[in-house]
Amino acid sequence: MISNLGAVLLIVSFLTTCSTLFLYIKNNIIQKSSIYLQFFLFYKVSFYLILFSFFVLIVCFGISDFSIISVYENSHTDKPLFYKISAAWGNHEGSMLLFILVISLYGILFLLNSKNINDSLRACTIFFQSIIQLIFLSFLIFTSNPFSKIFPVPVQGLGLNPILQDPLLAIHPPFLYLGYVGFSLVFSLLLAALILKQYNSGWASIAKKWIMLPWSFLSFGIGLGSFWAYYELGWGGYWFWDPVENASLMPWIASTALIHSIVVMEKLKKLFAWTAILTILTFILSLFGTFLVRSGVLNSVHAFANDPERGVYILFIISIITLGSLIIYILKFPKETASNNSFVLFSRDFSILLNNYFLIFILTVVIVGTTYPILLSVFTGESISVGPQYYNTILAPFIFIFLILMAIGPLMKWNGNSLISIKQKIFSFFIVSIFLTILISLYLSRYNFIFLLGVLCSVYLIVSVFYEIVMSKKFFFTKQNFSRLFSHLGFGLLILAITLNHFFSKEINAKIHLGESFFKQGIKINFLKSESSKEKNFEELFGIYKITKDNKTFILKPSVRKYKQPQQFTSETSIQRDGLSDVYIAMDYAGDPSTGIGVRFYYNYFVRLIWISFALITIGGIVSFARRRNEKTI
Amino acid sequence: MTPSRKKRLTYFLVSTAVVLILGKFIFNSLQKNTIYFFSPTDLSLNSENPKGLIRVGGLVKKGSVQENKNEATYTFVVTDLKNDIYVEYKGILPNLFQEEKGVVVEGTLKDKKFLLGKTILAKHDENYMPPEVAEALKKSGNWNKKYDQ
Repeated sequence: MISNLGAVLLIVSFLTTCSTLFLYIKNNIIQKSSIYLQFFLFYKVSFYLILFSFFVLIVCFGISDFSIISVYENSHTDKPLFYKISAAWGNHEGSMLLFILVISLYGILFLLNSKNINDSLRACTIFFQSIIQLIFLSFLIFTSNPFSKIFPVPVQGLGLNPILQDPLLAIHPPFLYLGYVGFSLVFSLLLAALILKQYNSGWASIAKKWIMLPWSFLSFGIGLGSFWAYYELGWGGYWFWDPVENASLMPWIASTALIHSIVVMEKLKKLFAWTAILTILTFILSLFGTFLVRSGVLNSVHAFANDPERGVYILFIISIITLGSLIIYILKFPKETASNNSFVLFSRDFSILLNNYFLIFILTVVIVGTTYPILLSVFTGESISVGPQYYNTILAPFIFIFLILMAIGPLMKWNGNSLISIKQKIFSFFIVSIFLTILISLYLSRYNFIFLLGVLCSVYLIVSVFYEIVMSKKFFFTKQNFSRLFSHLGFGLLILAITLNHFFSKEINAKIHLGESFFKQGIKINFLKSESSKEKNFEELFGIYKITKDNKTFILKPSVRKYKQPQQFTSETSIQRDGLSDVYIAMDYAGDPSTGIGVRFYYNYFVRLIWISFALITIGGIVSFARRRNEKTI
Repeated sequence: MTPSRKKRLTYFLVSTAVVLILGKFIFNSLQKNTIYFFSPTDLSLNSENPKGLIRVGGLVKKGSVQENKNEATYTFVVTDLKNDIYVEYKGILPNLFQEEKGVVVEGTLKDKKFLLGKTILAKHDENYMPPEVAEALKKSGNWNKKYDQ
């Protein structure tokens, strides 16, 4: 019966959202009242209803109510409770409900944290947020209701796939949603400001924190997803330029550009049009990412079973939202600010402009690589995919220049040529980083040109960040650039780690008999013994390997699981730390250990620095949000 | 021409040139790194073998998965139920790899009937059928409702 409650709650929340919109139109547009209490109250109610129905869905999964189709298809009584609950958003219907919950959550967060903003802007923002909420609620109710029933009620569910039972697989989607769905709020805020003629530099200060919050979640979510792929897929890699990964990367790049341009708008009252376009673009790309993941047009290593028909609906929603927002933009954009866009060469604002050009170029490369196969298959029927080399070869040189810009840009002054005053710094950073690069390359004895360039450029950025930290240590924790330093340092370390990882990681595939060892590339793999154990639903065969590298030994214990129901094999990787690097081994699902077992061994150089960098980038975003939380504006 | 117009014109010309060069750059790299997909039937119909990396997809033929005893290699047959292709794959089979289920293998052709697999694409869902495989099965006239889940 509880499932009926969920369905009813969804319909009631749909109706409440309708009445919220109706209230605003009746009281505040037609009667021009400026009292919003009732309107805000209704919006809050709609949020609680959505929250409650999501909660009901979780309960339905928790108690395995198989009268609901999505529970029947995605759950099983033998599943651990944690995975029963996470299955609630592991499927299309549930994840769309979570999507709506996040839209609504951002509306509520905004309502609670914006008391210092004038009420008309607040209300209008919530109005647009409710429109987006309503669009997706109708999509949910009419095309993919999570509470749809099945009759007769099955006794057991279908979803007991062991591979899908992984903690990170369960928690990384909510973070990604908190990220890119969160951009809906700043999108609504933009439309509201345009309509109310409040699109000015004050708007930029309000909007920035509402970009920083989802941006931090998105950075974190991308990091988690990447980490999951790293240890679960057993390929040793952490990023595959896969369309599903790109789907989350595209809004990230657009919002990163936005974070920078909005500062220029706030401080110098420039780039108004550009910032507006980036805001719209960020949200559209978020929706586009949802479309890519959910529609089934992709051929991806992370593929989900899905329904192309839904894709058509999402595409329709994207077109409506794009068209609507562009019309508002064209009609309402304040024309008097458009001409104020002159930039002095070698000023800080100019470097941000360059940053935006670079990011847009990177974004274009990713969009082209992701959509080209789709367009080609639509128009010619040919199926192709774009290899990772496409991204690596195009992006690498641009990222290198970009790193240097990231180091030099913040040294410059706003609105004035400052090349001469910082020439010395640029030069001395250069000397220091060349020196460090030489040390690194001597230590590692590798002199490949691309490698040296990658190290030099990332070290350059890292050196400049440390210089700033040392120079401003007195006010370090109160100064504004604290968050920027964190994120920039994270990015510098990220590229450094990727370069090191790319050039120094090792991969060995071998078949090793029990008790024997295998030697290659200075690494000795010794297959000591095998053990087996029996669990409720699977038999597990462990291999115990001794790895010897540079006089260090590691004992690793990968395993192969043989499941009974459904009958399949999974291979569990075993990873151990060696400083910032990882020793990583995965076993094959061979039958008899005495005839030898195939292993895939990776030495992943400096891979842990990649996770640290993701963390630093995220921390930078959170710090910026936290600092702006208490700021008074307008 | 007034100075501001002149400035605007140079700005326009320079940016057009930059955009064109970068566009050409993207396009070339795209051409070089495109991986084409073939079904076993496509390959048997082709008079010339495609060079470089390709993807081949279909169902893993029942009973065809064999483990090579001395090296860490597997051989199996990918079929669209009309034509077959042998695949030799060195490495670990992904978790959701199963006989009679859809698979996409990336690799290079040794000859018309023999693919040296480099990567087997993983899946997140046991019922997932790669769209290309579905298409290949439909083309060979062997599409079955049971695959459509």
